Amino acid sequence: MMCRTAQEPEPGDKHDADVTDAVFTSLLEDSAEELYEQAPCGYLSTLMDGTIAKINTTLLDWLGLDRSRVVGRMRFADLLSVGGKLYHETHFAPLLQMQGEVSGIAMDIKTAGGRRMPVLVTSKVKTTQDGEPLLIRTTVFDARDRRAYETELLRGRQAAEEARRRSEADRARLQEALAVLQQSLLPAELPVVPGLEAGSYYHTASPDLLGGDFYDLFPVDGGRWAFFLGDVCGKGPQAAAVTSLTRYTLRAAALHDADPVTVLTTLNTVLYERYQSGEGRYCTTIFGVLEPQDGRVGVHLASGGHPSALIQRADGSADFLPTPGGLLVGVLPQAPFVANRTDLLPGDTLLLYTDGLTEARIGPERALYGEDALRAFTAGQPPAGPQALITALSGLLASFGEGLDDDTALLALGVPAPILTANEDMT
Amino acid sequence: MSPLTITTRYVAIGPVLEITGDLDHYTAPELRTAVESLTLAAGQLLVLDLARLDFCDSSGISALISARNLATEQGAGIALAAVPANTARILGIVGLDRVFPIHDDVAAVTAAGSSDPSRRKKIV
Repeated sequence: MMCRTAQEPEPGDKHDADVTDAVFTSLLEDSAEELYEQAPCGYLSTLMDGTIAKINTTLLDWLGLDRSRVVGRMRFADLLSVGGKLYHETHFAPLLQMQGEVSGIAMDIKTAGGRRMPVLVTSKVKTTQDGEPLLIRTTVFDARDRRAYETELLRGRQAAEEARRRSEADRARLQEALAVLQQSLLPAELPVVPGLEAGSYYHTASPDLLGGDFYDLFPVDGGRWAFFLGDVCGKGPQAAAVTSLTRYTLRAAALHDADPVTVLTTLNTVLYERYQSGEGRYCTTIFGVLEPQDGRVGVHLASGGHPSALIQRADGSADFLPTPGGLLVGVLPQAPFVANRTDLLPGDTLLLYTDGLTEARIGPERALYGEDALRAFTAGQPPAGPQALITALSGLLASFGEGLDDDTALLALGVPAPILTANEDMT
Repeated sequence: MSPLTITTRYVAIGPVLEITGDLDHYTAPELRTAVESLTLAAGQLLVLDLARLDFCDSSGISALISARNLATEQGAGIALAAVPANTARILGIVGLDRVFPIHDDVAAVTAAGSSDPSRRKKIV
């Protein structure tokens, strides 16, 4: 690029620079007329009424018109499309009259072939020394590429917006379906069991991923009730399918023979065989039977790889009902399951939980919450029954905030403490 | 969150998979793919080196069991080496500490020396 600066040239260079300038000038443009006619944009000059007085070859070529048919015979507005004419009349001409110039207006000119060509029009009024308007000079730039590019951009943006709208609608629909499905994996509400109080809670970690936690409480035979709570390994629809299979297998097995180890063994066989080929599916479960008698409830439960149940006693103590050594259900064709028994007396509450609770990370160090902390928390609660314990624990879960990143299910079963009233003997 | 990388090397007793990063719902399929692509001979031992495992959730546990099943199908054994404390604790809760032979590190597995699955003590 030739770029002359204001800096004074070295004396010896002056002559050389002048020669160079002359050579460039002759190479670049042999005449101003040539530049006007063949410029890479259209030029035209019109009288104040719009009649075309002068027009360059570039613009005539675009229009496909003979100079003789244009000069003195047509007005600028005659070159425009219908829409362009209207715009010229209502906006362009009045603006030009007011401001003396109008710059970069997008319009369409119509060519002799009937096609429209997008252009950018700039006009400026030339005035006499007295300030009287004399004529209008106009440049016309070819905007075909630019218009195509803009159209493409616009189409791209519309497509992106449409895709976003569709994906948001899909996401909302999916979350609704997942929420319904998640609910179908849990009892709508726990049944009323004579002489027993029950409470439950389910925390969903992600609205996008079905969790694999489950629980249930249902009658078996002779006044006995069965309960279970568990956690399927993994997340998403595959895990939910296992949850569903697990839930109905446990219910059916319990009706056949409610012995906890027998029920878990049946579930183990079903999961092991169902998912033997390909990717396996496993779950941890505690299954148990409740046998109310004489104001107390006998509990007989077994665990397959599930954290031990916790018992809050009426005296305010809290202890685990240990079931170590049971294996994750579905891993091996024959699996060990470990049973334990206890009695729930009035005021006692049995708590089952999934490891979302005990594996939660707390505090800035993201320390493991753990079973000991759960036991201490429970012992610190007044022994006011399952509902009160569930309420306290759901508050605890909420306090974990982002440290709780897994689904968590809670099931509490207890024998209500006698309500001591003055006229107790009369009732 | 750290991504999962799995590198494979072969020692006398069989392949060693070094598992680095998070083994979770999103990355667990990579372990399965890695084990499926191994050439395992009957009598060999597949060692999963977990020294640099940062995180393992229940999907990760499932992937470990899948690895065990794939090895067993080919007549090979499996062992876990250098299991991080938190994962070891979870394996204990779900009873898998008695399904997987667990060693302090890869050297200990090699020292245990047996490529014969029936000689390993802890298998259930």
